[in-house]
Amino acid sequence: MDSAAAGVVATDMTNDDKKIGGALAIAACGLIGASAPTTSIAAESDSKWDIDSAFLYYGESDGRVKDASLSAIGIRDFGDDRKLSLDLSVDTLTGASPSGAIASDSVQTFTSPSGRGTYTTPAGEVPLDSSFHDTRIAFSAGWSQPLARLWTVNAGLGLSNEFDYQHLGVNAGLMRDFNQRNTTLNLAFAYGKDKIKPVGNVPLPFAQMGDAVDDDDLASGRGADSEDKDVLDVLFGVTQVLGRHSVLRLNYSYSDSSGYLTDPYKVLSVVNPLTGVPVSRTPAPGAEGPGGVYLFESRPDSRRKQGLYAELRHDFSGKVLDLAYRYSTDDWEIDSNTLEARLRLPFGESSYLEPHVRYYMQSAASFYRFSLPNGAPLPAFASADARLADLDAYTVGLKYGRQTAGGNEWSTRLEFYHQAAKAPSDLLIGNQVGNAQMPDFNAVILQFGYHFKL
Amino acid sequence: MKNLSILRIVLVVTAATSIVGCANVQPWEREVLARDDMQLDAHALDSAFDDHIYFSKEGTSGGRGFGGGGCGCN
Amino acid sequence: MKFAAGLWAAQFRAMGSPCEVLVESPSEQRAQAVAEVVAACAARIERKFSRYRDDSVVARINGARGGPVEVDDETANLIEFTVRVHELSGGLFDITSGVLRRAWTFDGKARIPTDTQVQALLPLVGWSKVNWQRPRITLLPDMQIDFGGVGKEYAVDCALVEARRITDEPVLINFGGDLAVSGPRRDGSAWRVGVEGVTAPDASPAKLIELSMGALATSGDTYRYLSDAGKRLSHILDPRTGRPVEHAPRSITVAAPTCTQAGMFTTLAMLRGAGAEAFLRNEGVRHWIQREDADQDRSFSARE
Repeated sequence: MDSAAAGVVATDMTNDDKKIGGALAIAACGLIGASAPTTSIAAESDSKWDIDSAFLYYGESDGRVKDASLSAIGIRDFGDDRKLSLDLSVDTLTGASPSGAIASDSVQTFTSPSGRGTYTTPAGEVPLDSSFHDTRIAFSAGWSQPLARLWTVNAGLGLSNEFDYQHLGVNAGLMRDFNQRNTTLNLAFAYGKDKIKPVGNVPLPFAQMGDAVDDDDLASGRGADSEDKDVLDVLFGVTQVLGRHSVLRLNYSYSDSSGYLTDPYKVLSVVNPLTGVPVSRTPAPGAEGPGGVYLFESRPDSRRKQGLYAELRHDFSGKVLDLAYRYSTDDWEIDSNTLEARLRLPFGESSYLEPHVRYYMQSAASFYRFSLPNGAPLPAFASADARLADLDAYTVGLKYGRQTAGGNEWSTRLEFYHQAAKAPSDLLIGNQVGNAQMPDFNAVILQFGYHFKL
Repeated sequence: MKNLSILRIVLVVTAATSIVGCANVQPWEREVLARDDMQLDAHALDSAFDDHIYFSKEGTSGGRGFGGGGCGCN
Repeated sequence: MKFAAGLWAAQFRAMGSPCEVLVESPSEQRAQAVAEVVAACAARIERKFSRYRDDSVVARINGARGGPVEVDDETANLIEFTVRVHELSGGLFDITSGVLRRAWTFDGKARIPTDTQVQALLPLVGWSKVNWQRPRITLLPDMQIDFGGVGKEYAVDCALVEARRITDEPVLINFGGDLAVSGPRRDGSAWRVGVEGVTAPDASPAKLIELSMGALATSGDTYRYLSDAGKRLSHILDPRTGRPVEHAPRSITVAAPTCTQAGMFTTLAMLRGAGAEAFLRNEGVRHWIQREDADQDRSFSARE
């Protein structure tokens, strides 16, 4: 500071003691007139928690899976861009899901997943194994704060528990802004450790589904009581402001899973190698058990995935279009494309309607099989889980939301989901050609939500 | 070959947009971008539900960010 | 007009800023009438006092080449107000300081004027060089006045007076961040105002302020700066030295009974640079200051 400026500072000191507010008020009154207000009441809004909560119902057609879920995400702002985010959700699952066995012209009998009972499937229907009444609780917490000018760091942990599955995960990420905060680069990592504890123990790969056993016994072909799975995820993303009305996000993700990646409840039907008809089997004398030969599936113990995700948000005078595309590929040879669009249309007093469509397309895993031919050598890995087949699915939905005078929001969403799987034709044998029934389904999603500040 | 091609695409686009700078929107011009419904995480809860549903019904998951945790469904 | 959450909202541009009027009324017609009166007031004041317009009073005064200019009551009142503030602030606030803009261009690049360039302009700066005898004002040739530091806030207050003349319903007038309310909302609750934070593109407003009565003014434009050897020089110029004020905060928001007062407080606080907090605390006005630290982009201090 030069001497002139120092002189200025010295003068400042004496002026500081005299308040000018009163004189200023009088002067302002003279300027604006007698009708000028004389007081001001201003306070910082002390709502600190921002909570989004919802109840969701998911129901598939034909007695299949139904799920009811309650979820809440709360974000607490501590000022200076430091945020805590807590997420709690509870859901209960009931209903049946496809076991991987194929439909047959005769009634089929299976041993239940625990190995301690049996169930049957009528002729001509895709076998569904009765799932369990299962309740899952999941909790996660995240913290984010600035690290330095233009840098933000975040970290979090998550856990979930259901009677046959536990998950524990941690994640951390770093973000950096560029171009006057028009561009943000993001690098994040997540590591998860899961424990699978199937009912009746983990089946050995390709073990044959055996007869039902008594409560205290273990069914045949079962091994350890639990298996582990590790997942490492890396995400590199760019968020770029494209203009006053648009923002684009681009993410590259890499995921490496290892350990037990098989579904312990899914099986494959063994069929006649010429006709494609399921082979039959007789249970041991006095026992109840499967009427066919069903082998538990086996998937590789490693899966490496890469994905590209792009999302664009564009505003046109109050209406917001959200367009997203995701491409994913992995070393199981499952390639998928997802295209999703939402259009938020505000209307009336503080309401909006938001139509939503999603289209999903996937190509089958290299080890996906419709069934296994009897007598042929077993492949290294195989699964008849329709979720690994060629798959097309679409969702159409509509969301309605309404803001209250206090700035909170009620919303409700109704969506329809349709999924159709296809077995690649070169996998079909004999009678199966042109006749392969896949467990296609429709589902309804209904959600009620309330977003409020506390 | 496939392994790095996606990463390469993202890096090229990142470099391109930061060089070109796109239209640098000044802080006093951000009134639209600051709206709640323009935030990229505006549908956090809906997306969390959807991600969980699609994770358990389809062969692919993730991409948008990290999910809230695993489950015994895929 | 748009209707959302019980409020009719009109938006327009005036005085180089996005402006909005919020009216809590069941009648769109009444809200429309209020919005029109407010927009008319803004347009009138801009036409009259903008230094960018050839037909404004300010252009007439600045183009008088040393001769006297007779002004009307409203202009005279505004001049006298700025004179009073000039006195109260010990010369920090000075409407003749605009000429310094010829030397300082604040666009983020490193075009620092030399001492010679600044010294050359100083003879043209200083209210003491102006001959003001109501209703005549005489500037030295090449001197310039501008009401940039008070114009928008004055417009808000005027517009509010006009609005209250035609309605009792709750009204909020916001001209580019300088705003005033006629009173609390219909249900007695306060208006919730988001104060722009100096943060990332996808961050929501830094602070939410509940205003029941009075006005808020923010001195923003926090990205207009010059870089001198890595040090940020703010765009607030001290009229006594011709140089940027050192250690000026990035942004200051003040609550006061009228927008004009609030605006004056923010301007005077800014001019005090490092002493901004102390000044506002001493004055006892509700204020929020954002500073830029070496490590962190923002640190917020809010005091009663």
